[in-house]
Amino acid sequence: MIKALSLMGQLGYGYHKDSFLSALEENIDFIGVDAGSIDSGPYFLGSGKMKANYDAARNDLEFPLKKAIELDIPFIIGSAGYAGADIHLEQMVNIMKDIAADNKLHFKMAIIHSEFDKNYIKDEFLKGNIKSYEKNKEINSDDIDKSTHIVGQIGADKFIESLKQGCNVILSGRATDASVYAAYPLLMGCKPELCWHMAKIIECGALCAKPASPSDALIGAIDDNCFYLKPADKQRKCTAESAMAHSLYENINPFIIEEPDGTLILDGAEYEQFDERTVKISGAKWIERKKTTIKLEGAKLTGFRTIAIAGIRNPLMIEQIDDITKKIKEETIKSYDDNFKINFRLYGKNGVLNDMEFLNNPYEIGIIIDVVANNQTLAHKICSIAKSNLQHYDYKGRTATGANLAFPYSPAEFDLGEVYEFSIYHILETDNVNDNFKVETIEF
Amino acid sequence: MKLQDAVLVLRSKNAGVWHITIDIIFKNRELYERGQKKLDERLFLKIYNKKSVEYFKCDNINTIKVSFLRDSAAGSINDSDCLGALFYIPLLDIDI
Repeated sequence: MIKALSLMGQLGYGYHKDSFLSALEENIDFIGVDAGSIDSGPYFLGSGKMKANYDAARNDLEFPLKKAIELDIPFIIGSAGYAGADIHLEQMVNIMKDIAADNKLHFKMAIIHSEFDKNYIKDEFLKGNIKSYEKNKEINSDDIDKSTHIVGQIGADKFIESLKQGCNVILSGRATDASVYAAYPLLMGCKPELCWHMAKIIECGALCAKPASPSDALIGAIDDNCFYLKPADKQRKCTAESAMAHSLYENINPFIIEEPDGTLILDGAEYEQFDERTVKISGAKWIERKKTTIKLEGAKLTGFRTIAIAGIRNPLMIEQIDDITKKIKEETIKSYDDNFKINFRLYGKNGVLNDMEFLNNPYEIGIIIDVVANNQTLAHKICSIAKSNLQHYDYKGRTATGANLAFPYSPAEFDLGEVYEFSIYHILETDNVNDNFKVETIEF
Repeated sequence: MKLQDAVLVLRSKNAGVWHITIDIIFKNRELYERGQKKLDERLFLKIYNKKSVEYFKCDNINTIKVSFLRDSAAGSINDSDCLGALFYIPLLDIDI
């Protein structure tokens, strides 16, 4: 039996030291942690900044890494620095260096790169090898040119290669969440359908347990014909329902999960309660793909943002708010035909659901005046003008000639810096794609 | 009966940058069968103003799952829900 420990749902969320230590008593074969996602938007890939900062990432890695070295078991980190480009890897390598030096740890670490050279992506695009993902719109060469970073979600291949080279610690660029956990049991000869199905569920840590938590550990154990899931914390349990529900999570199709090297088919999967805290799972199928396909992620700079936040409480103004904001938007665009976008978010009215909102009885509105322009100075100027126009707007029936808005902060405008958007989220299907992903090794 | 009283899980989430997926896990088989009558594909097309959605029934876990393309990519200027976390809200009070 091969036992995996998923340290937590995402690096930086924190972990429970006690449950981590009690998990280690169960003869764990390797520890994994996923550090990335696209959930928090395009900013991290675009800017090269990490989501979990130095302190948060170091806090979550230091003690578990020490224990892994002490026990001589692999420690595998996927999607370094959230977005997994080379610039994120560099920052994470520095954290690992500091941890190794301060604790006098000695280990061999693999660094797996998954950022692409743009020229390569351009060539593949021109050859027609980059395809839409589930009907999203096709990319054009401008999307590629403008991307600050383009990464690929890698599969288990390079993790396995790193383990074969005797690396105890693996730090990977962008990777599918499941690859972090599938690689080791695959290398050990476990059945691929079991490896991938287990990996897909445990990558979120104890999020699939009851009570659920993304900041706690989960143990996955692969046997000959089934695998078992159990939370490390004895206060939590995995139930058949919680595990089944989690296998649907964040997938378009509940029966099919695509990975770079194959397809996991779940319609025959069986979940049974093994003991009070453990679920036993079997029955998935794995179909190996002939050619590795890689999901690409790219982000590009779209401008610079300034926002202002204010409260509106006058019933007459609230009644007319759509007209008021429409006019201010039109006038601002007319007066300043520079390159900017202005957007009013009306929290308390329809700020969350927009056109889908089905209620209409706001008594208070929190308004965000959101301006994105091609430079920060312009964004600030436009936001400030729109704000003062709204502040003094002479709406029908207005009696309060002082000001229309309650500002909670001084200054009212906040410069938020660069704004990015996803430019690429597409599938690359080409020969020998894994040759792009270089593995470096470093010894501490 | 309102949908929110018939479910164990009612959630929405991004499935990648360009898709929303909604999971509706009913409390039991009876409610699942009752829910399907009302929550058909057409209802989702209407609520989410879509030309097409992917609609799945997962009988083994009394679940309806629906996925569709977003109007704008997660985290883009026009998006107001970067995680896609609150797209389930219009479903809460649907009478089943």
